[in-house]
This record gives sequence, C-alpha cells and structure tokens, in this order.
Amino acid sequence: MRIEKCYFCSGPVYPGHGVMFVRNDCKTFRFCKSKCHKNFKKKRNPRKTRWTKAFRKAAGKELTVDNSLEFEKRRNIPVKYKRELWDKTVEAMKKVEEIKVKRQAAFIMNRLKKGKQLEKAEAINEVKKNIHLIKAPHAGKAKQLEDKMVQRLQEDVEMGDEDN
Amino acid sequence: MGKSKQIGNHNSDKKKNISKKWKTKRRTKDLDQIHSDMKPETAARLLRQEVDYDVTGCAQHYCLHCARYFVDMRSLKEHFRTKLHKKRLKQLREEPYTQAEAERAAGMGSYIPPKTVEVQTQPIEEDMD
Repeated sequence: MRIEKCYFCSGPVYPGHGVMFVRNDCKTFRFCKSKCHKNFKKKRNPRKTRWTKAFRKAAGKELTVDNSLEFEKRRNIPVKYKRELWDKTVEAMKKVEEIKVKRQAAFIMNRLKKGKQLEKAEAINEVKKNIHLIKAPHAGKAKQLEDKMVQRLQEDVEMGDEDN
Repeated sequence: MGKSKQIGNHNSDKKKNISKKWKTKRRTKDLDQIHSDMKPETAARLLRQEVDYDVTGCAQHYCLHCARYFVDMRSLKEHFRTKLHKKRLKQLREEPYTQAEAERAAGMGSYIPPKTVEVQTQPIEEDMD
C-alpha cells in the first residue's frame, strides 16, 4: 500500500480514493479526483493546464531544481522493520520537509521581487509621461509669457498705426 | 442586422456530441501512444497494413500522426495540408507527458524540461498510382 501521485495534478492519491484508468494498452493512470479524470478524458495537457503542479514547475513558478527534492523517491526494495530506523526516518522526514518549505517560500519571494521592480519602473515611467497633469508645462514661466504678450501687443499697435 | 451567430460548419467539432466524444469507450489514441507508434519499426508496420475491409479505405491510407484512416490517397494528401494535421505535428514536437513527470512535479526529484522531437509528415508513397 502506498500513496500514489495523480497523473494529472500530481496530488496524492490515498488508498481507497480516486480512480484508476487502464488504457487498452495496459498502461494505468491514477487520478485523485473526478476533475483530473475528466480533464484527462478531454485530452488536456497537464503541462498546459494552469492549476496543475506540472504547469507550475514547467513555467518556473515553483522551486524546480533543489537537493531537498531528492529525498522522496519510489523505493521498490522492502526494508525490514526496525524501530530505531523508523524513528530516525520520521525525524529526517520532518527535517527535510522543514528545509523544503523554507526554500520553496524563499524561491517564491525572490520570484515576486522581479514584479516589484517592474512595477516601480512602470510607475516612474507613468509619472514622467503624465507630468503635465501634475505640473503645467509653463508653470513658473508666467513672467516670461507676460513679457511676450506685452511685446506682441505693442507690435500689433504699431502695425495698426501704420495701416491708418 | 448583424450576422447570425454561427455555431460551426460541418468540419468543426462543435456540433458533435462531446459527452460521447469524451467516453473512454471510443477513446482515440493519446499523444504518447502516437509517439511510440512513430518508432521506425511500428511506423513501417502501420503504414504498410494488410487489406482490411472493415477499416476506412481498407487500411491503406493511414496518417501516422493523427491516427486516422483515409479513403484514398487524394484525401490523405489533402489532410496533410489541413490545420488539424499541422496542429497535431506541433503537439507531437514535445516529448510526451508521463507519470514520472507527474511524480517529479509532486516533489519526487528535480524538474527535467521536456525534450523536443523532430516530427515531419510521413513521406507520401507514389507507387499507388
């Protein structure tokens, strides 16, 4: 008796749960829930389905290459029960799990940092583009404009005089 | 008046009964099965089948990648030019998904990216005509 992994979503399939599909070439597929089974029947690719573990790994959303992932394995060699070994194994499992969780969390936090940077750059860019909404282009140039207006008015007056 | 909502033409799968299509009873070949079919020895056997009167076109015109029989050479050639066939070739270019990959994704080992496979339409045999 072992906890199998779902073919589609990679979730655990506990004994007595889920469905096993045997294809007509004797290949077996285990599914943890009807959702996974239905998606398989629709011939969806788990690598392209966003909610599966396979997608998350393929798209670099999660920690993919790490030594902490190398402990859990399908071991097909039976081991005789020894209380000491059992205790040690359980201890080790706890430790490995702890390290794994820590590393996975760190990976995700690192991944999200990139977005923060992009967000910041985007915000700066937006402010630069729309600066005229905050500060009018000729703010602080009122004096210059006034002088220009006066000059132009004078010119107009002169022109008018010449016409008459 | 706008154009009336078109549900699909006769070639599209939209009008076909999807619940029947998804039945495992009439399951078509999966991509990994086709990948194993593409091995030279099986491919040779599939492309040169004996005359079988129960199969479309007496099993003489088979598309290896789409796992389909055609009535004659002409329709097979026409099929090679369709979107359906080209899409299938594209899908086959990636190594098939396996239970081992599912297990690796679940934390039993590190991720190994799928390899790309060179896939081309089977050569057309001209000796038929």
